Amino acid sequence: MLVELGIITTVLALVLAWYAVLAGLYGAQTRRDRWVLSARNAALLTWPLLTVASLALIISQINGDFQIEYVWSTTERAADLFFKITALWGGQAGSLLFWSWLMSTFAAGALILNWRSERRLMPYVIVFSMATLGFFLILNVLVESPFARFWQTANGEVVTAVFQPVGTFPAIPQDGRGLNPLLRHPGMVIHPPTLYLGYVGMVIPWAFAMAALASGELSTSWIRATRRWTLVAWLFLSLGLILGGRWAYDVLGWGGYWGWDPVENAALLPWLTGTAFLHSVMIQEKKGMLKVWNMALVIISFILVILGTFSTRSGIVSSVHSFAQSPIGPPMFVFLALASVVSIGLWLYRWQRGELASEHHLEGWLSRESLFILNNMVFMAITVAVFWGSYAPIFTELFIGEKITLGPPYFNSVTAPLFGALFILMGLAPLSAWGHTSLSRMGRAMLWPFLAAVGLVAILLIFGMRDVGALLAFGLAGFAGFVTLYEIWRGVKARAQREAWAVAAWKLFGRNRRRYGGYLIHLGVVVIGIGVIGSTIFQQETQRTLAEGQSLTLGRYTMIYDRLERAQATDGRVMTIANVEVYDGSQLVAVLRPRQDFFPNAQDMNTMTIAGSYSTIENDFYVLLVAWEEISQASATFKVYLNPLVNLVWWGGLLLMLGTAVAAWPDQDRQRQRVTRRIEAGEHGSPART
Amino acid sequence: MSEMQTSETQTGPFDPQTQPFVEQDIPRRRVTPLSVVIFLGVFGLLIVLGLQLIEANRSQPNSGPAPDFTLHVFENMDADAYLFGDAFTLSEHRGKVIVVNFWASWCGPCRSEAPALQRVWEAYQDRGDVVLLGVDYVDNTEDALGYIREFGITYPNGPDLGTRISDAYRIQGVPETFVVGKDGNVFQFIYAGVTARDLASIIDRALAE
Repeated sequence: MLVELGIITTVLALVLAWYAVLAGLYGAQTRRDRWVLSARNAALLTWPLLTVASLALIISQINGDFQIEYVWSTTERAADLFFKITALWGGQAGSLLFWSWLMSTFAAGALILNWRSERRLMPYVIVFSMATLGFFLILNVLVESPFARFWQTANGEVVTAVFQPVGTFPAIPQDGRGLNPLLRHPGMVIHPPTLYLGYVGMVIPWAFAMAALASGELSTSWIRATRRWTLVAWLFLSLGLILGGRWAYDVLGWGGYWGWDPVENAALLPWLTGTAFLHSVMIQEKKGMLKVWNMALVIISFILVILGTFSTRSGIVSSVHSFAQSPIGPPMFVFLALASVVSIGLWLYRWQRGELASEHHLEGWLSRESLFILNNMVFMAITVAVFWGSYAPIFTELFIGEKITLGPPYFNSVTAPLFGALFILMGLAPLSAWGHTSLSRMGRAMLWPFLAAVGLVAILLIFGMRDVGALLAFGLAGFAGFVTLYEIWRGVKARAQREAWAVAAWKLFGRNRRRYGGYLIHLGVVVIGIGVIGSTIFQQETQRTLAEGQSLTLGRYTMIYDRLERAQATDGRVMTIANVEVYDGSQLVAVLRPRQDFFPNAQDMNTMTIAGSYSTIENDFYVLLVAWEEISQASATFKVYLNPLVNLVWWGGLLLMLGTAVAAWPDQDRQRQRVTRRIEAGEHGSPART
Repeated sequence: MSEMQTSETQTGPFDPQTQPFVEQDIPRRRVTPLSVVIFLGVFGLLIVLGLQLIEANRSQPNSGPAPDFTLHVFENMDADAYLFGDAFTLSEHRGKVIVVNFWASWCGPCRSEAPALQRVWEAYQDRGDVVLLGVDYVDNTEDALGYIREFGITYPNGPDLGTRISDAYRIQGVPETFVVGKDGNVFQFIYAGVTARDLASIIDRALAE
């Protein structure tokens, strides 16, 4: 029953999505509003349908309906209810359905929230968002159905099919195979959905941009809706990246949070272009410049999202994220090619016709505009470097017949100076003015933050830091941070003459949400930057085999290996746990239990190395259990890292989230406007003016 | 960024008040070289990706003759580990069961299976008709040797120079393992990590053939 319900609702959603594309196109071309309204209703209806389909799958997972191949491959009887539910995105077919549901949610959100304000763009917003949804639903229905079931033929062979093949009867396995062990971690449960939200979120700005290009409504109104939706997508993308890092740090057991892996890069690339867009869009809003460029950034971000999904799911780049081989590669490629050609074609067409011309020229070389353009250049340089690093094996294999893989040393050395340049710009731009700033005014404005940064470097020197790169990096990050704090302080001080400090700060942030939200994001990035610098340049590691009672010392800390334990968890995993005491000097500060989990029933990835970590603001003492004496259990091998300042990465991440929330919060006066509009509309019985 | 600047030099400033555009005001332009370049670039990228997709979809050999190769074994390993001198050629060992394991020091799942492989090797090395080979896929020598030492690996390992061996076996990532039967045909392909028990049972079946 549930399975049939799931199949019917997905197929209906597929039909409705494509109907919305056609009706929207027809309505827009012939200017028949009835068709556009019909397209909208169809688009909105995909949401309840896909909600029912997703619920049908979730309920099957909870009930353990193992005849469904997907349920069999991602859950098992012994699994916790929590993991039975989150198994929805534990495998390819389910995550495609989940993707579609999110896509539909975003589309419905855009249609409801922006219907009145962006009325003229709406027909094409429907067309482009529903074409994307329609494509993913094709994958869902025809290529990888989460509702495919096991059937047994008369001669005992088991086949997988959505509908019962002739002459077969249902084959129901006793128990499922269970979720991939690596995914059984709270971080991994939240990380994919947030990343999907970021990915899916990018579809909406693209749909708005494409709507503007297709309809020729290129006055700046499309940019308002696009900016906010990009900010939402950017928030989730950032969160997804940070949670992914946290998960890698906790579970993957290589002592770090970022490995420049192609899959990580796939998520970083649209984040970089999205960040560039969020900056350059301000120039278009204020000055009417860079229209060609902003459009390009939205399109590139979307293409990078699709490219990232395509390349990680089709196996064209090899990655430590070993995704199973999947049949969605070729159809994804077709979609990627179509989306790129249509987007870039439309963009070139409008550009050639001069419809994306700038309204102003750059007035002075030292202005906020010019600094933002520099910022965009740096972001694009990082994007190109990361893109090349991720896809180099493909190009080198094709052109010189040899696969050259670029590892972390390439990424670190190429991107480090560029990130340094970004910190400089982050320091200078908030102090500059639109139009033109004189050098002496800039100099006066940056005097105090600059002196503070110099002071910071001096203190670090006094405390014995001699690494020139590190001093420079901390100095630049410090400068950007001090400028931001200084700017916030100046704003609060100006208000504080009339009000109490706390009230002044609250009102300042409330009145200029975009600006001060942006500053909070900058602060978050500075804090993350300090964490990254510290944990990259000053990481220490050692590896040693210890007998019971023996110790090793790293930095300030000494650890003593106590004993090894074995335990079995309810989900069948066998845990080997080492008990380790950590001393700071002679003071016992923590008892850590680094462990290795072995999953006897799991297929490929069957071991998970979970670190034990003693964490302070200053650093993490991070212990991995690498190997042990199987029989006597008397000795064990540990890999130990000292990761300075690594916690700042997570704290900075929180600050960044907070800042984005502040910046993206709906404006009060916009709400007020909407209320007045509704009154107007009610009183006169006429549609609201935009 | 060059697009941005060209757009600004091509068109003069005009009054924002004249917005929005009226369509007939805009002179139709011919296709500029820049847009041709952009389009060709996009097509070029798509073609490269498409070729790679075709390549990736050709799956690993599951049966039939195992592609021949010569592996140059890492040199500064423990002397006892030297079985075949510094070059091992697959076709010269017809009649033995040969396990070819692709790995890399940067690969997490490889780390998980490394002890299992070594255990299997220790169980079979004295028979003489079973060979375990480690093919180190895109790696740097220092890390690779560190990895071999870390897991106390004693079977022969060597770098996949120019990714020739991995290309011949069309691997999609590491770890991947091929068991080559006594007749020189691929007996079994194992995607992702192995366990000692599974690998041993596959070797036993290959020996029994």
